[in-house]
Amino acid sequence: MTADAFLFWFLAIVTLVSGLSVILMSNPIYSALCLAMTMVGISALFVTLNAYFIAGVQLIVYAGAVMVLFVMVIMLFDLKKDLQAFTRGRFTGAVKIASVGLLAGLVVGAIAMSVGLLNEKTTDNPVLVGTGMESTKALGNILFSKYILGFEALGILLLVIAVGAVALARSKGGTHEH
Amino acid sequence: MNTEIFSNIGLTHYLVLAALLFVTGMAGVLLRRNVIVLLMSIELMLNSVNLTFVAFSKFLGILDGHIMVFFVMTIAAAEAAVGLALAVSIFKRFNEVNIRFFEHLKG
Repeated sequence: MTADAFLFWFLAIVTLVSGLSVILMSNPIYSALCLAMTMVGISALFVTLNAYFIAGVQLIVYAGAVMVLFVMVIMLFDLKKDLQAFTRGRFTGAVKIASVGLLAGLVVGAIAMSVGLLNEKTTDNPVLVGTGMESTKALGNILFSKYILGFEALGILLLVIAVGAVALARSKGGTHEH
Repeated sequence: MNTEIFSNIGLTHYLVLAALLFVTGMAGVLLRRNVIVLLMSIELMLNSVNLTFVAFSKFLGILDGHIMVFFVMTIAAAEAAVGLALAVSIFKRFNEVNIRFFEHLKG
């Protein structure tokens, strides 16, 4: 087994186990910590795919900013006991788990069946293989030329979201009086 | 015993891993009652989609997938901010962040 394969399997196991822990832990703060672990694992998987810039952004934005936001809100709420963490009803729970399992089987089966159709692997593409700087430079070029409209739209979206989040947090909550 | 699948990592491995992560996040959305854990599960699903984008970008040699990951990340951060603001507003009203209190929000 080569180092690449070992790295992939190690990261896959870490990511899957911490991802499962997110939904199985009944204390939200443990869920948040497991989610941070998942983010770090996915970032490392990006590195194995030669996406160095995306991996850095993933670490900064997700494992940094978004996780701090989640942990701050959890600390604000002071949720020591999370009563009834899971949905009620044994039957509906069984139906939900069955539907999730069905979806997993469908997706994995579809991927396994379509492997033969995806045989044009151009892994030796000069853009994506290199020291990483070429990839980042090409990413910047394409972001500010071909996708400039989307980039500007994202700026406007972030402005709207900032205003909307402040307005939501300042409101009294709910739309009608009790 | 065929050990090719363990030693030769290809696109399929990344796709299957991303699919399993996505399904995990979906199970979290369906099964949990806490709004914050629900938002975390949604983040998990978005991350698995990002993994799919980057894997295809690497194996097809096109950089457009990275751009899409960029956009998805920004929108996910914005969605987390709005969702958490909603959760704060729910909590201020009901002292609880269970998903069943969201039905009281309708006007």
